[in-house]
Amino acid sequence: MDRRLSVRVAALAVGLCGCGSDKLVIVSPTDTTNLTNEPLTSPACPAVNFGKRPAALSLTASTPPALQVLGMGSETGRYTAEVAARATTAYTTTWGTRSAVGNKIDIWDVSGSTPTLVDSVIVANATTLGDVAVSDDGKLLVVATERSGGSIVVFDLTDPRHPRQLSRFTNQDTDPGVHTAEIGRVNGRLYAFLAIDPLGSIHAKLVIVDLGDPANPQQVYSKAAGNPFVHDTFLRDGLLFVALWDDGIEIWDVGGCGSGASPSAPRVLGNLHTVGGQAHNIWWYHDASGGKRFAFVGQESPGVIGSSSAGDIHVVDISDPTAPQEVAFYHVDGAGTHNFSVDEANGVLYAAYYNGGVRAIDVRGDLKTCLPSQKNFTSTGNITRCDFRLMGREIGVGLVELNRGVYVWGVQYLAGTIYASDMVNGIWKLKAVK
Amino acid sequence: MLTEGYLTQPMFMAHAGWRSLHGVLTLNFEGLTQSRGELSTGAYGEGYVDRRHPHAYVHELLAGVEDSIRGTHLSLYAGRGFAPFGSDDPMVRPFEKYPVNHHLAQILERVLVVSAARIGPVIGEFGVFNGDEPLSPGSPPKYSRFGDSWSSRLTVLPARYVELSASVARVKSPELPDGHGLDQNKSDVYARYDHRTNDSRVYGLAEWAHTNEHASGVSTSLGSFLGEAAVCKRDVMAGARIEGADRPEEERLDDPFRTPRPASDLSNLGVSRWTTLTLALSAPRFLAKSFSARPFVEVARIHAGPGDPPGLFDAELRYGTSWMWMYSVGVRLKVGMIHDRMGRYGAAVVPEPGTRAHPNESHNMPGMASMPGMSMPNHSTNAACTL
Repeated sequence: MDRRLSVRVAALAVGLCGCGSDKLVIVSPTDTTNLTNEPLTSPACPAVNFGKRPAALSLTASTPPALQVLGMGSETGRYTAEVAARATTAYTTTWGTRSAVGNKIDIWDVSGSTPTLVDSVIVANATTLGDVAVSDDGKLLVVATERSGGSIVVFDLTDPRHPRQLSRFTNQDTDPGVHTAEIGRVNGRLYAFLAIDPLGSIHAKLVIVDLGDPANPQQVYSKAAGNPFVHDTFLRDGLLFVALWDDGIEIWDVGGCGSGASPSAPRVLGNLHTVGGQAHNIWWYHDASGGKRFAFVGQESPGVIGSSSAGDIHVVDISDPTAPQEVAFYHVDGAGTHNFSVDEANGVLYAAYYNGGVRAIDVRGDLKTCLPSQKNFTSTGNITRCDFRLMGREIGVGLVELNRGVYVWGVQYLAGTIYASDMVNGIWKLKAVK
Repeated sequence: MLTEGYLTQPMFMAHAGWRSLHGVLTLNFEGLTQSRGELSTGAYGEGYVDRRHPHAYVHELLAGVEDSIRGTHLSLYAGRGFAPFGSDDPMVRPFEKYPVNHHLAQILERVLVVSAARIGPVIGEFGVFNGDEPLSPGSPPKYSRFGDSWSSRLTVLPARYVELSASVARVKSPELPDGHGLDQNKSDVYARYDHRTNDSRVYGLAEWAHTNEHASGVSTSLGSFLGEAAVCKRDVMAGARIEGADRPEEERLDDPFRTPRPASDLSNLGVSRWTTLTLALSAPRFLAKSFSARPFVEVARIHAGPGDPPGLFDAELRYGTSWMWMYSVGVRLKVGMIHDRMGRYGAAVVPEPGTRAHPNESHNMPGMASMPGMSMPNHSTNAACTL
């Protein structure tokens, strides 16, 4: 399509929005590259179908509304870290030292508007519990421990409100700390993917642990990774996305491509140095129509915990996993992102933004297509990317209007609700955007 | 209250010289005698907090050449030691306890090449070095990073006993040996006065130091001011120091005096501001040939408050109070001569008043108060009022 024509169509769409019709108007792509709309596979990973290219959207940029706060469960004795929720129970971990050390898991009843603390678990020999995850079947809770010789602690969730410790996995590879522990299945078997802190001149590592027998975890793989840190991973459909800080991201086949790779013998498909480095966390987005072409990468720039933060969300086109490309970004002045959760059915990315609260971002449609006026050239990476803010994709902001200091570590979307872990205050329950 | 005793600052110092060639050696054994660090409220650096870290076993090991060309004294030194930046190593100043600003006002234990030139009362220095700090007393420097950082210092000697200095430095990723950590832009200005006679000394130092830690356009500003003075008569030395210094707060380990090395990311927990008033008193030395023992006592009143930004730092939460006392009692033991000052090499060594700078002079025979003309500016003798 002629570029000028497409611009005119987009301008018309904006005008329609101004007349009170639905804010979302589907228009033709303004980018003439890669116009194929056929399901896409890669020769390097034939078993994964990255889906059809979604249609381009045009949205109206406007001041995003505040996300409705439903309630807050207070934790002031310790700094709160990550959150994981399932059904009517949420789990938050703790970090560092406040009036007490960060060795406690708080267990919240979130059936009502205000999360209510119903139990807690103290994990011995830990100063920080930086990550928590619930297995997809709801049977296991896995918590990462740091800085006393790292470990993962596996809990049985037969009674979700009262976890029972099943096992603790630690060895020399998990020393000095497990920063995060993502869990997920590869060909039906549960694994944990551990991001290990560096120690002195010893490099950061990625360690993979077989949780097929959760009472007896077994390490199946370890590799030095990250430059200088590896903070997080994301597993889906047998592909492992690894955030390697200044080395960007790598996509590993751990059994999803049908090539013989496995968690004990991963194969690197491709990598990308995201703009500015400091790649911290990843979410491989599967949209409601089956498209799997984009991943979101969180950048964690230096900050002052409790006061300030920095770092953008980077949008990466992974439709060719051997050559990922950064195509868009989202930036908030004065704040930086941390962990994500995506309402994939409705196409909304929720991002923890530390002192910037919670941000809701519309991720429907083709994320690499935007008007020229919505593009931004970055000399650092010598690339031009779509700017989500200019595209009108910022659709909700949470917790910043409360006029009290927040520092949001993590978020989880669950059935129309967002749970946000706030280092300073505890756990928030917010209403998701419609 | 915590009370501890240890052997602190055990060192072996040596100089060697032959014609234009010179060598400097300082071995530090704190790694053996105080691996847990020296209790020092407010101190930080190299994985220690509220304890001063033990220094590298090889504190200084340099070889250099010096010569004079048309009245310009030139030198070139290489090895491990102090980058030309800031003020003297606190070990050779009249207080036992280090100031909080140690990591703002000195850059030490780097592999470096440092050149210096002195023309009359003006001294210029430039050095290149590796940015990484030692990971432990015995850890080797990251030789592959040599040259990634630099510093420069200009010193003017406007009057007898007076020294004015300004320096700047660019230090790459000091806390992450493999790089990719926060970089530091550092600056320091000081004025120093040091008037010594055979039986007296009047010393003063006023210093401002600033470090900007930054990455990706995000920075933390750490500032300090320091004023210290000491007078000595009849071998009794009294001193006072006032200091205000910013400290970046870091996550602590099980041991509350230790922080992860390296940290798990580039963020900090905020900035704390330390204001410390220290009073020091040293009794006359006990002398036996080249051995001396000087008893001392130091009392410090310390205030910890929020810096900018405060982040999560809360003195009441951390210490139960924002006002603290620190007492130090000890005996300074010495055999032979020590380096009078540490942190300058070759042509950058400030000549003692009353001497003239000549080629190769800085490391000639040790200065002996009873031997006029044999002064050695870089060495402390057993004359009265030496440390």
